[in-house]
Amino acid sequence: MNVLHAASLRHLLRHPAQLLLALVGLVLGVGTIVAVDIATASARRAFELSLEAVNGAATHQIAGPPGGIDERLYVGLRTRPRAPGEPLLRFAPVVSGYATVGERVLQLIGIDPLASAELDGAGATDAPGFAVHGVREARAWFTDPGTVVMSSATARELGIGADGRFELAIGGVHHPATVMARSDDAGAGFAGLIVTDIAQAQEWLGARGRLSRIDVRVPDGTPGAALLAQLAAQLPAGVTLQATRAAARETFAMTDAFTTNLRAMSLLALLVGTLLIYGAMSFAVLQRRTIIAVLRALGATRREVLMMVLSEAAVLGVAGAVGGALLGLLIGRGLVGLVAQTINDLYFVVAVSEVSVPPGILVTAVAAGLGTALVAALLPALEVATGAPQLALARSVLERRALHVAGRLALASLLLALGAGAAIAASSRSLLAGFVALFLLLLSVAAVTPAALRALALAVARLGARVSPVVRLACVDIAASLSRTGVAIAALGMALAAMIGVAIMVESFRESLREWLIQTMRADVYVSAPGVSDSLERRLDPEVVRALLAVPGIRAHSEGRRVTVSSSGGPLDLNAVGLAPASYAGFRFTQGDPARAWPQFVRGDVLISEPLAWRLSLAPYDRLTLITDSGPRSFTVAGVYREYGNDRGEVLMDLAQYRRWWSDDGIAALGIYLVPTASAAQMVSALRAATHGRQALLIRSNADLRALSMRIFERTFVITRVLYWLAAGVAAVGLLSALLAWELERTRELALLRTLGLTPAATALLVLAQTTFMGLAALLAAIPAGLLTSLVLTEVINRRAFGWHIDLHLQPAQFTNALWLALAAALAAGLYPAWRSARLALAGGLREE
Amino acid sequence: MIGARALRRALVAISAALLPAGAPAAPLPERFTGAPPAEFAQALEVRPFVFPRDHGPHPEFRQEWWYVTGNLDATSGERFGFELTFFRFALAPPLAGDAPPASSAWRTRTLYMAHFAVTDVARGRFRFMQKLSREALGLAGAHSAPLRVWIDDWSLAQAAVAAGAGWTLQAAQPGYEIELTLEPRGAPVLNGEAGLSRKSDEPSAASYYYSIPRLDVRGRLLRDGRPLEVRGAAWLDREWGSGALGARQAGWDWFALQLDDGSALMFYALRDRDGRRDPHSAGTWTPAQAGADAHPLASADVAIDVTGEWRNARGERYPAGWRLQVPQLALDVSVRPVLADQELATTPRYWEGAVDVAGQRAGRSVRGRGYVELVGYAQER
Repeated sequence: MNVLHAASLRHLLRHPAQLLLALVGLVLGVGTIVAVDIATASARRAFELSLEAVNGAATHQIAGPPGGIDERLYVGLRTRPRAPGEPLLRFAPVVSGYATVGERVLQLIGIDPLASAELDGAGATDAPGFAVHGVREARAWFTDPGTVVMSSATARELGIGADGRFELAIGGVHHPATVMARSDDAGAGFAGLIVTDIAQAQEWLGARGRLSRIDVRVPDGTPGAALLAQLAAQLPAGVTLQATRAAARETFAMTDAFTTNLRAMSLLALLVGTLLIYGAMSFAVLQRRTIIAVLRALGATRREVLMMVLSEAAVLGVAGAVGGALLGLLIGRGLVGLVAQTINDLYFVVAVSEVSVPPGILVTAVAAGLGTALVAALLPALEVATGAPQLALARSVLERRALHVAGRLALASLLLALGAGAAIAASSRSLLAGFVALFLLLLSVAAVTPAALRALALAVARLGARVSPVVRLACVDIAASLSRTGVAIAALGMALAAMIGVAIMVESFRESLREWLIQTMRADVYVSAPGVSDSLERRLDPEVVRALLAVPGIRAHSEGRRVTVSSSGGPLDLNAVGLAPASYAGFRFTQGDPARAWPQFVRGDVLISEPLAWRLSLAPYDRLTLITDSGPRSFTVAGVYREYGNDRGEVLMDLAQYRRWWSDDGIAALGIYLVPTASAAQMVSALRAATHGRQALLIRSNADLRALSMRIFERTFVITRVLYWLAAGVAAVGLLSALLAWELERTRELALLRTLGLTPAATALLVLAQTTFMGLAALLAAIPAGLLTSLVLTEVINRRAFGWHIDLHLQPAQFTNALWLALAAALAAGLYPAWRSARLALAGGLREE
Repeated sequence: MIGARALRRALVAISAALLPAGAPAAPLPERFTGAPPAEFAQALEVRPFVFPRDHGPHPEFRQEWWYVTGNLDATSGERFGFELTFFRFALAPPLAGDAPPASSAWRTRTLYMAHFAVTDVARGRFRFMQKLSREALGLAGAHSAPLRVWIDDWSLAQAAVAAGAGWTLQAAQPGYEIELTLEPRGAPVLNGEAGLSRKSDEPSAASYYYSIPRLDVRGRLLRDGRPLEVRGAAWLDREWGSGALGARQAGWDWFALQLDDGSALMFYALRDRDGRRDPHSAGTWTPAQAGADAHPLASADVAIDVTGEWRNARGERYPAGWRLQVPQLALDVSVRPVLADQELATTPRYWEGAVDVAGQRAGRSVRGRGYVELVGYAQER
């Protein structure tokens, strides 16, 4: 080991605490990235596995309108006479939907096991362990009503006993079921899946005669394109053939905006981490200015010194990466549940039973850790390597330079802010540009914070001088310590700005949602069939509807049916409504004229929600092509309305028009308006009684439903909060580390103050006051920046990710979290130095000089 | 990863359950040992056979099959063998009355299985495919008047409602397709005791069993999409019942030989677990002369010596060459597979292949062709 490395090692060993804190910052930053990667990858993997759980070898799928495909199409495909030499395609039918067991929603899949086995190529050629099964099971599967199979884990989670009997509910109707076989090695794809015979699934889901899809397997090595074109040509109008992968991608792509936002939040934590490493490295270099100058004087080249600092950073980076990967695994396990919950609330039902670690995760971690450490260390390394050996010896030079740098950073901040503006202006749609702008803005906050701190400290010093020389001393001290504390304050400022920004955004969103709910939900009582929002089985029994509407006290009612239809732009949510007169006012148009649009709507035009208008770049008078039961048909967009319920957007269509184009006469929800004398609570009980137990319906008053919507909203933002607290945690650790180091270095100064007559308590107070001041200064810088950040989040990021407008709502509560964080971090950072300074052995402290 | 093993297992269980047992055409006796379920009709007594009605399905019995094997010559001179078999298997007897109105059309109590195999002698290839389906929505089924039994686009059908009407066969697998017309060269021959075929001392281990030992075949065989005109002779076996083999029976060797003097020999040698011939082994001799009655052969009437052996890729041994002697017919022939590997790797595995026959009959040289089925030689895994 050469003398440089020996010096380097010696230094690091002598200052373990400082090193450790920098490492913690990096580990947290890398860990957050890794955790988000793992959580999203796990959700994606679970989704893919659930698709592969049945007919996993399928290459294509035939899908149709919301009501499914006529099963006779499948029979025709299998039994039709084939042209001589025509390659053999394999087909397997699937009927899928959702079932509720207890509180849990599970996917119900109906298959024809014989066709599925043929499609998967299992056939009877490999037969692992069939000896344990036999005719009895086959007989049970086909002839015993309610027979299902599921994984042992799912059966356990559902609390199904040894006899296999349980009850499941579909669309509010309860059915007895029996688990015929449960498997220990079913694989993750079977998590939360109930598999039953296709006949049973059709009966339970009320989908007799219909298939959800037909899986197709094109044999390997056949000229697929021509074959598929031939197959597609045989399909009736409204039925499409699509590659299975593409269909899966399309479905999972629904979560893109959500996962992108998560990733951006995790990058924020790493960005804060970068600043911390920069601070720690700068500090480590500063502390060794003497030894480095001596080494330089003894002949160490600039290159060698540069390499020494960078290799220290590299070691730190790799250690941070490894630690981050491990921490990420831990946090990731926790995040998986939150991500899955949000996806379930907003997009589709997926049961994530396994944490799957993406293969490149270690590379990501090392790239993030090493890259961050090297980039952060480059500046201090260059500084120490390029400085003249003599100058490096003088501390005052450093502080002067820090002062200089603070000034230049303020300028850089301005440039960064301008850059953020330019990024927003450059593209009106790019979400990436939006995030670039956001990060530039946050960096700009970071850059301006040291200058702000200094200005503030000097101003208070001037004012405080009249009160007490100690105040002046304390403040000037802060202003003069930028080389040590500047970076940490910058990191804290940035984290606080992000925190304030997110808090304002979430609160504004919540308020906008609340207002929207109040405006949209005009009916007094809502009735809906339980189940996943746009699933077909979610329909009200017509008998029950008649019984409900016969209840006295009803003035008017709206009817609704929500389905997923195919369009030229992929699957779209369609909301078919028969509106009561009072319901029209519930739609707030953002484009188009309601007076013109509503008559057009009844005549067959559609309205679209803001997110859809954004996603498909549609405006009034544009046309939107939907695949109806009789083939593609283009509908005119009559207007765009505000909607926060569905971030993918929806098409609003008149119910009569929907029934004209799609053969589906189901209703999933009713909105009931009461006569003035009736009370909602009484009506809810009356309606409940009117169902006569035929169907377990969700019957809620307006207020209850609104509260429920708000609860779901809160749940979907939990993960955002978790991530911003992680970023804040990184910043707090950074501040702790920097202040601790600074205070420890001030030992002599404090000892001097003590000898000049400051009591131990006063010394401790001084230290605490200084750290608190710094925390508050960072907060002060963060408040305007946080406002700007919230603007970028609502007007740029949310707009570009989801297409909706959020009205800005400001409340003091949005700043309190940031305040607490700033105070807590500052106080925590000050406590130990304060305690130490109070107990200082004066002689020892002074001797340091 | 393709799906989950649990499901796969359940599927395999179901396909294994489909396999009928208890008679020569039905492999894997282990699966259905013991008394048949009481809810099915039993083959206990001799019954009158009425054609064409009895060509059609008998749903009151648990299992049933239509079994066609044959040897073909293409105009190009190439030789082929084929097997096309349809099995019906009832999981439970049919429900009395109509299904509840809320039932899905996929509800079924009956499953079908079919095997289609082609032996391409010139190219030394043996190819097979299996289909499994449920009797629902017209995906698979069987009806009479006229007979039609099918899975997907594979079918065996009679052209008209007449006892002697011709049959058509249609099936396709990757590489090989057949479209054949079959004309029976004689009335159905009742095996066993006037069509009641007992497989063990257990009364329930019996079935109704008839054959049409010779049908003239013409039609097309497509190889890799290219049609070949073919002619030849086929053998049809029909059997139904509800029982299973005896507990000690392990498998069988079934011979269906068509001699060029116009006569035909069917014989099945049942084996017990020690490999010994079971005394319930039996056969039928169908003489060439029109009007001459077929007559049953008992186990003791037929002597069989194994003259060759073949091992599959897993190392399991099959006999692959025989000397058959029937002293009362003055018949002494050797039987040789036209291709060693004619094993169907289905569940269960069995060997069913085209054979050549050569030897002496009443002092005169005789040749012939036929099919042999060997069951119970491969381990099920």
